[in-house]
Amino acid sequence: MRVRDVQHPMLPQATEEELSRQRAVVSLRKLLNARVRSQNVRRFHEEGAAAFAERNSRQPQSPDDIQAALFESMGYRMWSAANRSAQEMIWMSVGEPIFRDRDRMQAAARALAEAPDRKGSLHLDPDYDPSPEIAGTDVHLQPGGYGRDDGPDDIVAGAFYETGGNVFSFGQGAGKGDSKAGVIFRLLDEEFPDFVPGRILDLGCSAGAASCAYADRYPEAEVHALDIGAGMLRYAHARAEALGVAVHFHQMDAADLRFPEASFDLIVSHNMLHEIGAEKRRRAMAEALRVVRPGGLVIFQDVDTRFAPTEVHRVEKNWDTAFNGEIFWQVYNEADLVADMRAAGFAETGLREHNVSAVSNINRWYVISGRKPVDGTPTA
Amino acid sequence: MTSRIDAIAAVIQSGRGTRAYSLDNREAEQVLSIALALLVELAASNDRIDRLEREIATLKGQSLDALREAPLDADAQKERQEALEAMQLRVLRILMDPRDGG
Ligand SMILES: C[S@@+](CC[C@H](N)C(=O)[O-])C[C@H]1O[C@@H](n2cnc3c(N)ncnc32)[C@H](O)[C@@H]1O
Repeated sequence: MRVRDVQHPMLPQATEEELSRQRAVVSLRKLLNARVRSQNVRRFHEEGAAAFAERNSRQPQSPDDIQAALFESMGYRMWSAANRSAQEMIWMSVGEPIFRDRDRMQAAARALAEAPDRKGSLHLDPDYDPSPEIAGTDVHLQPGGYGRDDGPDDIVAGAFYETGGNVFSFGQGAGKGDSKAGVIFRLLDEEFPDFVPGRILDLGCSAGAASCAYADRYPEAEVHALDIGAGMLRYAHARAEALGVAVHFHQMDAADLRFPEASFDLIVSHNMLHEIGAEKRRRAMAEALRVVRPGGLVIFQDVDTRFAPTEVHRVEKNWDTAFNGEIFWQVYNEADLVADMRAAGFAETGLREHNVSAVSNINRWYVISGRKPVDGTPTA
Repeated sequence: MTSRIDAIAAVIQSGRGTRAYSLDNREAEQVLSIALALLVELAASNDRIDRLEREIATLKGQSLDALREAPLDADAQKERQEALEAMQLRVLRILMDPRDGG
């Protein structure tokens, strides 16, 4: 099942002029990435490091020094300002059609969610406070952030995430065949060919693109998915119904699962690790181990910024932390995730890190997977 | 359906938290941001012009290239030149305005 550029009734009906703007933003982002950002490491070596040394009477060494040295370069500063501006324009270009068409989209979502032949379900928890850690932040500058909830029928956060995500990903060079779930299917085929999950849990599902792909790929399985925001989850549920797949969505924190022990065969998360702090990450790993069954798999997939070839590349990739509302980006980049998985109770055997290629473009993804020992005893 | 003006205002108003600046001069960064937004607007306008050209070429039974390459006569050239100068004055006002040290 395709996960990007999928057609369904909750997509805003954008005018040709609005689509022109979205294409222009995709194209601007591609240009900035390919021709301007790609010079940042050179800018550090050719300008930034020397300017830093002159100002501070020493060479840049720590990550903070490298960051300061990058900012000595005018080219870097201009790229940073332009990139932030282009990121804001993603949301402007998709936000205008969303708010213009919001009443129709909400009605469509409600009709799908309440349809008598619906396949999945939605479980909102009015007592849940959407992750105070990121509640006040527009993560990747998305207006209102992940926890946004404008009222009983609100679906804006989900609409922003899906439509803005398409513009963002196409600007990163991802094509319409892009699929993070597809990366995991390939990994399962290659490394666990006999593994057929009966119950699947998708942590941090956002608009549910991956969750639906699991439901489609494993039609016999029962698929559950969770996220923190009601606006995101209403959209995700209606979208899954529109695509005709059964997914059960829950408003729940990945670090505090309301599922019984050993109740899933496969627990996955796509791009959630970089959105949570260190404490929450460790609790989420321990919770995943608790609710996966002995012999079951836990797989966290995330961005490839951890593979930076040099310290300068790594600091350059930390840009999102300060400028793109990705407050845990650097924390994620620098975390020892193997140690965290071990501390959460995963046995060393069965714990693997993978550097995998995307399914339809040259991007790469980081994956860490753990298998719960069959006797079920945590080893740490 | 909400008007496009209300829709744009809703997007702008719903942002939260802070935004970090990259340039030493925040005013300059805002101007850069306005210039990039105009780049996007220009792209949208170009798409509209292109669509019209295609329509007209079809209506006239002409090739698109022939339509685009049709030379302007002297009157039209004069009119375009005036329009160009007026636009440049509008856009570059700040360089010439004595109140801005022009
Ligand atoms: C970058 S998105 C990834 C979404 C989706 N899995 C995908 O790959 O398209 C990260 C998601 O994690 C969610 N998230 C953040 N903190 C969370 C938490 N503590 N528990 C569950 N989900 C969380 C966010 O709300 C957001 O929807």
